[in-house]
Amino acid sequence: MSLIARHLEASGIPTVVLGSAKDIVEHCGVPRFVFSDFPLGNSAGKPNDRDSQAATLELALQLLECAPTSRTTVQSPQRWSESVAWKVEFQNIEYMSAEEIARRRAEFDKIKQVGQQIRDNTEALRSKKR
Amino acid sequence: MTAVQDDIQFAELHDAPVQYMQRLRDYYLALGYDNPYRWAQYAHVPFCPPDKSLSESRIGLVTTAAPFKPNAGEQGPRAPYNAAAKFYQVYGYPSDRDQFLGISHLGYDRVYSTAEDSNAFFPLPALREAAAQGRIGEISPRYYGAPTNRSQATTVRQDCVDILRMMQQDEVDLAILVPS
Repeated sequence: MSLIARHLEASGIPTVVLGSAKDIVEHCGVPRFVFSDFPLGNSAGKPNDRDSQAATLELALQLLECAPTSRTTVQSPQRWSESVAWKVEFQNIEYMSAEEIARRRAEFDKIKQVGQQIRDNTEALRSKKR
Repeated sequence: MTAVQDDIQFAELHDAPVQYMQRLRDYYLALGYDNPYRWAQYAHVPFCPPDKSLSESRIGLVTTAAPFKPNAGEQGPRAPYNAAAKFYQVYGYPSDRDQFLGISHLGYDRVYSTAEDSNAFFPLPALREAAAQGRIGEISPRYYGAPTNRSQATTVRQDCVDILRMMQQDEVDLAILVPS
């Protein structure tokens, strides 16, 4: 998504990214970024919380209006919870047994295979259209 | 914790943004994939200041969420990772219509998130509210779905080009991009 923001911006369309993976977005480098320190999957605000979602969007709008230069990150002041368990646990191998790691390896091999199949099918369709 | 730290009330040690690049690198190495992913990285970042006010601007929304795909298994709240729900072609969908959007094809936090409220990853309703209040001019006639390719070359050469073309057709002034 950061790559798309950069492309749009370079082509004359100002952009703002709403995201929760701060290091990944900033490593790439985007013009404007609203960072919500939430578990992945909640870039637009807390679930079932309209105030949280409206406040997150408002930060994005303000950033579009006021960002002074590229790589402007604003961190939402919202907190997901007072516990940091979600930060520590996410895909953390220190919390996984050898069996769990093996299970995930098998699962990911399957995911890659299925993804590749869909990608190949899409590409075949695209080639036909050309 | 020392008495001094206790006195000045620092946050808990791990209460900082998750270092996802390191976490995922360690994860995939542990799984036995020995070719770590090179995350996109640029020294220079473009910047284009808006040339009109928000209340006069047409806004385009970009999402990585996927429309429902028939015969592709569970795609709703609490669905396990579902690669069959992935898509590899940019799509556009009318902004004034509602459709199911899911993130079962993405690696979000399935322990602490359920994906039960799409407004948490797809802010179209909040954007409609902003338009109704006059905070923004209007919403682009379509929103845009971005594939999550592991191939950055495909993202740059194909998806970026497709989304820009659609936004230009729709005369989008400003873009909001929401990865999940």
